Amino acid sequence: MKTKIKTVGTLLVSTAIMASMLAACGSNNNSNSSNEGANKGTEASANAGSNAADAKTPDTSKKVELNWYLVGDPAPDQQKVVAEWNKMLEQDLNATVKLNFTTWTDWQTKYNLLLASGEKIDMIFASSWADFYKFANQGAFMPLNDLLPTYAPQAWSNISEQDWKEATVNDKIYAVPATYPEYTPDGLVYRDDWRQELGLPEITNLDSIEAYLDGVKKSKNITPINGKAYNEVFTMFKSFEGYQQIGGDSGVIVSKSYDAPRDIVAYPFTPEFEEWAKKMKTWAQKGFWKSDTLSDQKEAGDAIKTGQGAVYWRNAPGAGGFITGMEKSNPDIKLGYFPFSRFQNLTMPTLSVNNAMAIPKSAPNAERSLMVLDKLRTDPKYYDLMSYGLEGTDYSMDADGKHIVTPPAGVAAKDFKGYGIASWGFRVESMERVKQAGGWSGFDALLEEFKSQSKPNIFAQVIMDYAPVKSQQAAVNSVIQQYGMPLMMGLVPDVDKAIATYRKQLEAAGVNDVLKYVQEQANKSFDAQGIK
Amino acid sequence: MKGFFQELVRNRILFLMIAPALLFFIVFSYVPMVGVYYAFTRFSFDGGLFGGEFIGFKNFEFLFNSGVLWNLTKNTVLYNIAFIIISNILQLACAIFLSELPGKWFKKSTQSIMFLPFFVSFVLVGAFVFNLFSNSGVVNTMLTSMGLQTYDFYMHTAPWKYIIVFFHVWKGLGYGTVIYLAAIMSVSDEYHEAAKIDGANIFKRVRHITLPLLVPTFILLILLSLGGILKGQFDLFYQIIGNNGMLYNSTDIIDTYVYRSLAVNFDIGMGTAAGLYQSLFGFVLIILVNYIIRKVQKDYALF
Repeated sequence: MKTKIKTVGTLLVSTAIMASMLAACGSNNNSNSSNEGANKGTEASANAGSNAADAKTPDTSKKVELNWYLVGDPAPDQQKVVAEWNKMLEQDLNATVKLNFTTWTDWQTKYNLLLASGEKIDMIFASSWADFYKFANQGAFMPLNDLLPTYAPQAWSNISEQDWKEATVNDKIYAVPATYPEYTPDGLVYRDDWRQELGLPEITNLDSIEAYLDGVKKSKNITPINGKAYNEVFTMFKSFEGYQQIGGDSGVIVSKSYDAPRDIVAYPFTPEFEEWAKKMKTWAQKGFWKSDTLSDQKEAGDAIKTGQGAVYWRNAPGAGGFITGMEKSNPDIKLGYFPFSRFQNLTMPTLSVNNAMAIPKSAPNAERSLMVLDKLRTDPKYYDLMSYGLEGTDYSMDADGKHIVTPPAGVAAKDFKGYGIASWGFRVESMERVKQAGGWSGFDALLEEFKSQSKPNIFAQVIMDYAPVKSQQAAVNSVIQQYGMPLMMGLVPDVDKAIATYRKQLEAAGVNDVLKYVQEQANKSFDAQGIK
Repeated sequence: MKGFFQELVRNRILFLMIAPALLFFIVFSYVPMVGVYYAFTRFSFDGGLFGGEFIGFKNFEFLFNSGVLWNLTKNTVLYNIAFIIISNILQLACAIFLSELPGKWFKKSTQSIMFLPFFVSFVLVGAFVFNLFSNSGVVNTMLTSMGLQTYDFYMHTAPWKYIIVFFHVWKGLGYGTVIYLAAIMSVSDEYHEAAKIDGANIFKRVRHITLPLLVPTFILLILLSLGGILKGQFDLFYQIIGNNGMLYNSTDIIDTYVYRSLAVNFDIGMGTAAGLYQSLFGFVLIILVNYIIRKVQKDYALF
């Protein structure tokens, strides 16, 4: 026994020694590299000093490693791309970036935790759809007003005043918005070849949608929306009635129309909803979707690919991507697109902070981070690398020298993996080398249509964090799922009774408190925006 | 105190051996308890993790306000009672059958096959269930081909109680069986041989030797599972039921409710509050049951 313990002891001690030796090696390396960095840094600053006596040139003498976070998944060759990027960065700005990804799995939870835990992050993707306004209001991000003119001069002068305004919360700028105006109205992708084959009317309104679904269902004997169908129906409802959701609200509170933004209601209490729920009940009975749709995890789009479905909800650029993808994979299927914006002839551009980069409060090197971002937004070498990957392996330049071709010349399409990350936060329209909507031929006409009926987005910038009503909001969210979603999908046996229950449950959960809160916040914002 | 140190010195090797386990529980179970504090504060980025404003029981309101808490607690407890009782009895039965089976090869392979579902992820289980019970699933296809009416499972709450309990039991059966089997193996063969000589048949031996000797294990396992009686199996319910509000009346448990309420509006305080409620309930329950057991049969109690 004793000898055994002894051997274990010696083992332990020797491992400890090994570990400390290794650690010593590591720290040696570190000190070496930091020395090198410092040397380079002094050189660089000396150079800068001799070159120009510009007092405004930021000090980059200290080498720093920046910690960046993007949402989504890294590309297969991400490491190589970042290594390449770091080489350039080290030379130009004496910095390296550690680029992290949240991956799409559970990204919202991770994103929230990253900000809440106070991890040292120098820059992170931010977006109105990732609660930018809420986080900014709660103080998760660093105000950038004082830093921008010095450390990101190009972005500061290139980004329009309106865009900055949309990134402003409580008079402070909290993010650098991407410069990439988009229209993203919801709509339906549908099988146009079947419509023509069956002699069904052109889709222009709700009735023709119904006629199309009915015709396809009867003649093709498939479920038209084959998969989870809630998004299809809910976005159609909103757009058809002209209801506008406010701020990041995903619940039941809406503004009744664009022209009367202050008329804010909870839609389950409107007669329009009653009528809609009854209509959807008949749609469900006709079999436009299946009665198990709420438990289904499949995307309706996948069914189209296999010839088992006809309709899929997408926003306009997403539809373009889906349609061009299908043109490649299933050339025999012809698809059409109906944007719901045609119900009301109204589109709103996305906010500038639909995609943006922000700096968390905990950032140790905010200044350098901004410099890197500025470089990234303006230097084509940087921009191409981080947006499209490595030239030659991920893409090659088109003959016009402006656009890129994937897969690159000499690479077979079959083995091509490609490079694509959520680089949206630093996108700049003038730097882009790919066309919106995947180069879908129908997109330009749509864009013209959207532009012609465009009105400024006044709803998205209402800031709400629900702090005073959060327990009510939580309860309401749960009621929506339990009672609202089955109603929306027409799955309840008795619509009138179900609506009565839904309303009762919403009231019990405190929907009126939430409504009052949203009204207050919206009115405050409309006052500030100068809207009647 | 002095006695403790003497004890420490005398049994230093034993203490050394238990140290990793102690350390594990301190780091992963006791230190995180500090987080209970979040249940009573409003999180703010300015203050960091411990700088939130103290707001008392406000975070608990969303559980009580809408009046669903009673139904949720009832569902959670009833499901867990069904899980615990049915699982344990079936596991016990399987273990006894297996132990009495002759033939090593058959025994081993049966055991392995029973164990397999334990490794299947709930996401897959969810997919199984959907493909079994959806409109065009296995069950309905079978019904149609037999010329019977199809049954719309996802529109009715009634069958889901049984489906959920079934899949829970199915998944845990092999694991529990192994634990009971180990307990059976530790029973000395001498008892059985003596009983055989006295002329006891197999049923008598099971009834009078195996079962009584398994009671402590049985009680221990029940006691351990009681602590988590308010912690629903989130993965199981969420993967099988998903967003289907039609079925919530009989399948909504505290975990799914909390998830649904807070998924849209991430809130550390309210999430912690819900967790604290569950843990506190489990704590009270386990103390109570342990107390009762100690009154009845002191040796079987946990502490």
